[in-house]
Amino acid sequence: MGDHAASQISEAMNRLWQKFLPQMEERVGTLKGAAAKLATGSPLSPEEQSKAGAEAHKLAGVLGTFGLTEGTDLAREAEGLFENPSLLDSAKVARLCSIAERLKTMMASRV
Amino acid sequence: MHRILIIDDEYDIREVAALSLETVAGWEVMVASSGAQGLARAATYQPDAILLDVMMPGMDGPATFRELQKNPATAHIPVMLLTAKVQATDRSRFADLGVKAVLVKPFDPLSLSQQVAEILGWN
Repeated sequence: MGDHAASQISEAMNRLWQKFLPQMEERVGTLKGAAAKLATGSPLSPEEQSKAGAEAHKLAGVLGTFGLTEGTDLAREAEGLFENPSLLDSAKVARLCSIAERLKTMMASRV
Repeated sequence: MHRILIIDDEYDIREVAALSLETVAGWEVMVASSGAQGLARAATYQPDAILLDVMMPGMDGPATFRELQKNPATAHIPVMLLTAKVQATDRSRFADLGVKAVLVKPFDPLSLSQQVAEILGWN
């Protein structure tokens, strides 16, 4: 692959990042909301659990494509935690909250 | 020129994969946003290969693959599954379906076409 193609891909990826950022932020917002609800001691409904897990899965699949490999790792961890949120202790719920915050910060700082 | 069909319900993945395969490899790309749409496009478009997402609402990747195999018009088309699942057990289960390969998301947009070409012997 030539430098020209690499440059074209890089520029196009930056454009796509800007295009997809609102949707990805919305996905992180779903994780954050679910984590915050768990932190209050309230259980997630099956729909909320399923949606949070699905959004984490989608983030895991895409963030690394935009160079955010740590984001993929964190989203995968969140996906695993959302598989059975009723079994999460307070430390793991705090971890979910922390992951959501870290993802938000990481995405905001990608240029 | 090779022709690829991408079947994925996530439009960000579809766009990035299409961008990668078109720009880096110069292949012709068609996309579908669901298993059902993918089956129809595969039959009419007759791509040289299909990239198929595993987790999709409605007809998921494995179910779509089985339908592709049932149809004589599409049974010959090599299929590569795309998945964000990284557990070895998941990947082994998907590979056992009879697909050509299981590719893990996230993928590198700069090397995706090379990976696909190597799997299909297009180099």
